[in-house]
Amino acid sequence: MKWANSLLLDNRAGKIALGLILPVLVVALWQAAGPTGSLFGGVLPTPDRVWLAWKVWAFGPPGMGLNPYSGTWLDNALFSTERVAKGFGTAILFGVPLGIAIGWWRLAAGAFDPTIQMLRPIPITAWLPFSIAVFGIRDMGSVFLIALGAFYPIVINTTQGARGIDKNWIRAALMMGAKPLDVLTRVVLPASLPSIFTGLRVGLGIGWTAVIVSEMVAVKSGLGYVLWDAYYVGRMDVVIADMASIGLLGFLSDRLIIAIENWVLGWHRLQSFQA
Amino acid sequence: MGNVSFRATSKTFPGKVPVCALDDITLEIKDGEFVALLGPSGCGKSTLLNLLAGFETRSTGEIKFDGASVEKPGPDRGVVFQEASLFPWLNVWDNITFGPRVQGLKRDEYESKARAMLKLVGLEAFADALPAQLSGGMRQRVGIARVLVMSPRALLMDEPFGALDAQTRLAMQQLLLDVWQTLGTTVLFVTHDIDEAILLADRICMMSARPGKITREITVNLPRPRSIESLITPAFAAYKAEIMAEMRIAHAR
Repeated sequence: MKWANSLLLDNRAGKIALGLILPVLVVALWQAAGPTGSLFGGVLPTPDRVWLAWKVWAFGPPGMGLNPYSGTWLDNALFSTERVAKGFGTAILFGVPLGIAIGWWRLAAGAFDPTIQMLRPIPITAWLPFSIAVFGIRDMGSVFLIALGAFYPIVINTTQGARGIDKNWIRAALMMGAKPLDVLTRVVLPASLPSIFTGLRVGLGIGWTAVIVSEMVAVKSGLGYVLWDAYYVGRMDVVIADMASIGLLGFLSDRLIIAIENWVLGWHRLQSFQA
Repeated sequence: MGNVSFRATSKTFPGKVPVCALDDITLEIKDGEFVALLGPSGCGKSTLLNLLAGFETRSTGEIKFDGASVEKPGPDRGVVFQEASLFPWLNVWDNITFGPRVQGLKRDEYESKARAMLKLVGLEAFADALPAQLSGGMRQRVGIARVLVMSPRALLMDEPFGALDAQTRLAMQQLLLDVWQTLGTTVLFVTHDIDEAILLADRICMMSARPGKITREITVNLPRPRSIESLITPAFAAYKAEIMAEMRIAHAR
């Protein structure tokens, strides 16, 4: 096994290759089993047909004939991404300050924490009818669900971060003449950032779940809308291409957060590495 | 300036079983004096320091610093913590200049002083390093420099070298002696290390636990300037014998 370790684990290309073995194998088997028509009673299109469907969806001439999806991929991907960005941004705007307040200030904890803990067990899917009733079949409903879904992990992780701060950091800051607001912005916030980023990553994942669910029901555009619409008209090739697209966007947005985290939290990685 | 006065001060931590950490402490420290609090863990020596720092509030009695009652922390009493407690997200320079910056000073008002203090503790080359990249001894040097930058009238040091290995500890003790002999600031130094107390202090307050009390004060008349060479003189050994005898009596009680 020594040669395998050095070939597949100790260098970047090898690692990527190792990770690709399983998906490539699955796709190959799927492709091989497809034409016989035996796969799920012939419902599932083969990978090459999914690829073809995606190419038409992405690059085909828009508004042509019987294919309503042709050439609309980018627009729909952007619709969904924009909704996630708006909802996620809103969640950060509320979640981080509130989390800091709850973690830092016992009065805020007493005032807000019980409400948050009572609302949190209600899944965002259960908010769908409420959201449609209040916001109608419009963007706002989708953004509301994303913001709500992403809010919980962000506020809870931020609270954890603000609570777990080394008491001596606060004492040191006060000893050096810091005022309460300085302590909050210069000590509590940076010290909470590692937990905040954990919350952001979980929250973003929930944001993508929320956008797809809400677009399937409450909006008439976006990848979630196309997903459900294509299913209704029996275009399973588009359904699979859509699923892959959602996965790709979720993956890329998570990578973006990680990149920002690595940039902002260089000190923290260094510290964990030392420990 | 840098006069400290504890009058009949006591501290009880509330709880199901209230703990009397300090009982009826009276202690005067003159300007420029180096006083060590020596005692076993749990004798309240850190609590005494925290009261003067303003981190804890006293239960009874009074604590005065240069005539004013101590109510909260402030840059006139610089505290050096056991684990340095630097801000890990700030580099050495930003850690050292944290005090002047939160006090609203402009860069040209603190820059030369901060450079001088960085030099004094021998870390000019590490201004851009993060705390995680430094050794324990270097971190503690930063902890001292960030306090000296504010020109405190008293230095409060809570077992600052307790977590360091023996060799680094000697180097740090020498550094502190040099710094103190240059600046002449009042120092309150908490330790459980007998050698350290004798080497550094003008006066040693020995403490015992439950409730925390000062049991005896010993004036150390070793000549200044001292260095770690003082550790091997007969006079030093005599002080050590005296303190150990006192500890045995305290233990027997």
